[in-house]
Amino acid sequence: MDPEERPCADTWTKSSSGSESLQTRPTNTSFNDFNTQQTFSFNNPFGAQISVTSNLNNQKQMSDPQESNNTQDWDPRAMLNNLSFLEKKIHQLQDLVHVIVRRRGQNTGQADEILVQQQQLMTADLTSIIVQLISTAGSLLPSVKQTLCPESSISQQFGVTNQTAGVSDNVVFQHNNSVNKLEDPSDMTGFFGAEQNCPIEDHEMKSDDDADEGENLPPGSYEILQLEKEEILAPHTHFCMICGKGFKRDANLRMHMRGHGDEYKTPAALTKPHKESSSEPILIKRYSCPYIGCKRNKDHKKFQPLKTILCVKNHYKRTHCDKTYTCSRCNTKKFSVIADLKTHEKHCGRDKWLCSCGTTFSRKDKLFGHIALFQGHTPAIPVEESKGSAGPSNKVEQLEFKYKSDAPSGSSCRNVMDLEGSGEDPISYFSPLNFETSGIDGFQEFPRPPFEDSESSFSFLLSGSCDYPPKNGRYTGSNDME
Amino acid sequence: MDSILTLLTDDLLFKILSLLTDDSDRKSFRSTCTAFYRVDSLHRTHLRVLRPEFLPSLLSKLPRISSLDLSVCPRIDDNAVYLLLSSAAPIWTRRIKRLTLSRCSGLRFRGLETLVGNCVNLESVDVSYCSGFGDLEAAALSRAAELRELSLDKCANVSDVGLAKIAVGCPKLERLSLRWCFDITDIGVELLSKKCARLKQLDISYLKVSSESLRWISGMERLEILQMVGCGLVDDLGLHYIGKGCPSLEVLDISRCDKLSSSALGSVIKGHNSLLQLHASYCYSELPMTFVDQSKDLKNLKVLRIDGARVSDAMLKIISKNCRFLAEIGLGKCSVTDTGIMHLISGCVNLKVLNLTCCSELTDSAMLAVAESCHNLLCLKLECCNLLSERSLDYLGSHCILLEEIDLTDCSGINDKGLKYLSKCSELVSLKLGLCTSISDKGLSYVASNCFNIRELDLYRCAGIGDDGLASLSRGCKKLRKLILSYCGGVTDRGMECLSSLEELSDLELRGLPNITGAGLRKLAAGCRRLAELDLKLCENIDDSGFWALAYYSRNLQQINFSGTAISDVGLCMVMGNLTRLQDAKLVDLSNVSVNGFELGLRASCARLKKVKLLAFLRRRLSPEIIETLKARGCKIRWE
Repeated sequence: MDPEERPCADTWTKSSSGSESLQTRPTNTSFNDFNTQQTFSFNNPFGAQISVTSNLNNQKQMSDPQESNNTQDWDPRAMLNNLSFLEKKIHQLQDLVHVIVRRRGQNTGQADEILVQQQQLMTADLTSIIVQLISTAGSLLPSVKQTLCPESSISQQFGVTNQTAGVSDNVVFQHNNSVNKLEDPSDMTGFFGAEQNCPIEDHEMKSDDDADEGENLPPGSYEILQLEKEEILAPHTHFCMICGKGFKRDANLRMHMRGHGDEYKTPAALTKPHKESSSEPILIKRYSCPYIGCKRNKDHKKFQPLKTILCVKNHYKRTHCDKTYTCSRCNTKKFSVIADLKTHEKHCGRDKWLCSCGTTFSRKDKLFGHIALFQGHTPAIPVEESKGSAGPSNKVEQLEFKYKSDAPSGSSCRNVMDLEGSGEDPISYFSPLNFETSGIDGFQEFPRPPFEDSESSFSFLLSGSCDYPPKNGRYTGSNDME
Repeated sequence: MDSILTLLTDDLLFKILSLLTDDSDRKSFRSTCTAFYRVDSLHRTHLRVLRPEFLPSLLSKLPRISSLDLSVCPRIDDNAVYLLLSSAAPIWTRRIKRLTLSRCSGLRFRGLETLVGNCVNLESVDVSYCSGFGDLEAAALSRAAELRELSLDKCANVSDVGLAKIAVGCPKLERLSLRWCFDITDIGVELLSKKCARLKQLDISYLKVSSESLRWISGMERLEILQMVGCGLVDDLGLHYIGKGCPSLEVLDISRCDKLSSSALGSVIKGHNSLLQLHASYCYSELPMTFVDQSKDLKNLKVLRIDGARVSDAMLKIISKNCRFLAEIGLGKCSVTDTGIMHLISGCVNLKVLNLTCCSELTDSAMLAVAESCHNLLCLKLECCNLLSERSLDYLGSHCILLEEIDLTDCSGINDKGLKYLSKCSELVSLKLGLCTSISDKGLSYVASNCFNIRELDLYRCAGIGDDGLASLSRGCKKLRKLILSYCGGVTDRGMECLSSLEELSDLELRGLPNITGAGLRKLAAGCRRLAELDLKLCENIDDSGFWALAYYSRNLQQINFSGTAISDVGLCMVMGNLTRLQDAKLVDLSNVSVNGFELGLRASCARLKKVKLLAFLRRRLSPEIIETLKARGCKIRWE
């Protein structure tokens, strides 16, 4: 080795000891060192060159024992090539540093500009080395996991690298040409961190159809959140994963997230607010409906929690709100969730199977299943058929009118209807209120069940997206948020 | 007279009346005196009318009427129902329990609804062959909540929806026939099984239902009779369901279900040892051996029909050993041999009905065995048994004196001598001698002089039969109602004159008799006032003079076939306009009738016609109004 190398080694020991004094972590693995060194190096440009070099040495030391561990998933030959390439590159850098040191010894009053240029050059080289190094290490990663190497070390490595990129912002901005390259490693973290990041993303995706998760959660094993009515009905589309508060805009949500702790203040957290990589276990959250007496309310004896905020929203609207959206085609069906209306409109007009209670079905067997279930319900005969047989075309109307006038309960039924003041819609007076009066002898006046039991709400039960009771069984996911 | 009446109290007269089963006897009783008439009107429970306009007055005079038959009324439509019910407070409606509206195709749902709505105690309704009936009519029927019995045969437009209406509206239903309601599917049957738990008898013949339906039917606890003829989609699985379910099953008809294998029958027998009747005609080309083996379980079996399945002698031996109480067996087209019959007879001595149609290997020895063993035989079908000679009839005439019905169609060995032997069966009611070319007037005279109860006689293409035969017939068989003389070329106007003395004759087929002229028809019409069905096809020498008489006398005519006769425009208009009960007319190949004549004839009768057959070219020549009117009134037009 060159005798000129020694001072450099000295510098490294100094700086390394300095870093140790700063960072007092007991688990000072080589990765941590690497990390702190780098941080240090950016703050002190002159030490950086040396620190990286030494760090790379460390890295090599670290990877050597691993090579012996890993037998299958990586190519040792390629690894050797990479390492020798790195070695060459490091030697080149070393030479460059030697030149600088020598020049400094000769001429101390050198212009700052040249120094800056040299520094930029070195930073670029170093960055490329880092990238190379990381990608080399990355090729080992899957096998590392197989060999039960403590995962934390790797994840920590990348996690911290990420942080580095964030913390050393000021440096990055100073050296513009290195910005992109510096971001590369942070992007790489995304790649390497897949092990850890993927579950997070998955979790987010599943939050819509989380029926897969065990629903028999013992009480107390989850945190119950209850949103206020106003919050539920607010037209929010972005919800805080922690407290459930809703926002119209994602940006506002991110601003809100900052209030939940410092970890949400980082630029990474601010750009990707939901993908915070905190490894601490998140307490499972379940939601309670604010409507007192509802089975979905936490005070109910047989409380069944709602799984997501979406569920809360749809449940509340469907069960406890007026149905304000009327189908423009049939002018009969009403919905409280606009997505339900849209789904209905897709089928509206095709639901030609009509029960005497007013419920329509798209399939005959569904109607007959319904009729078999409810006492006294019969299929209503479609108008087309009355046209088909010889005779006046408005048979059905007359027929039904006759039934109504004949049925003794008709008048009482109509009274109730008038009291409610909802005469315009024939279905609206099939409310649970007049169940007793009209249920005695009514032919057409069968009470409409308090919930929608048309196939539109049953059909999704089988999909298992949410095992709710039929009344709010339809839960289609994100498009409900519109 | 008065003295007798003082002895005969109303109770006794009631008793006498109840023993009179025949309509004509009752009519004689009724017309004896006012007292008898009064008793008759008090006793009468069933009323079958030709003209609905007399109904209100009739019903007010007959206080016990509970059954009303409007099936022969030519014009029952919604308006007729309104008129019927318009009279003040029709109390009779509450008494009506049984309503027969078969073939009342002019009736629509509002009329039906009004009728059903007024007859609140209705228990039985027959709307079979109302081809226009659909779900709306079914909905109207479903308002009869007390309904126990309903026949929807051939109401082809009734779908699952209509059935559902009935199933929900009439939960007390015990008997239901859905024969030929092609639109009914598994879904409807499923609902029926869930809603009508009291069902005892169900007929789903010719429906396009699968084994799935039988799965649901098998859950019917009270079902005793299940008829499922020609259910081509039902397979073994369905019969396995039936074998495991239907605990009360007594009668099963799986005839013409051609998808079944032997295991299907096996599982049914396994599950239902107490089966009384098993109809499995034309299911198998060969009787499955498994059935024969299992027949020992069917100790109570009374009726077995396995027509169309080849049966070996050994099989018949086992069956006869196992099923000793068999009263009826159907072995048509089973290629039964003499030995087979002897085996069968050895065990089953109580046979009353024996169908050996087209068992052409049978000889006189088989008949000897049958005659010697089965003294109680009532009905014997021997169509196409060509090897039988007069000796067979000798055996039958000497032993089976209870015989009421015998079919000897196409038995070429039957001659006059044979008929002489057969005439010893004096209880004969129905005699079929079609295509027996060896018989002559002489043979017929033997029958006529001994068998006074004959009501139905088929002499189709018996070329040896002429006027003399008819003369002896008219002297002896005064109860004759149905007579087929088609293509008996020797029959002339004189024969018609003889027939005119048969007052009860109601159904007469005279096809292809060129020797009959208008004069003959005139005499016939003047005598046979009860004539309801008359077929004059290809009697090309009958002209208007005969038809005028027909139009004048035969007011009871319901069905006519004038195809190929010499009727003219005027004759057709007369007949069609005057015959107020005419419902079915076949008017093909009328060379003397113009399009205008058809138009007028149809206009004169459009209110009552239910069925008409016309040449296809008339479809475009007739006015659209008349065609529409006919169709609107429920008339079915067949274009030839």
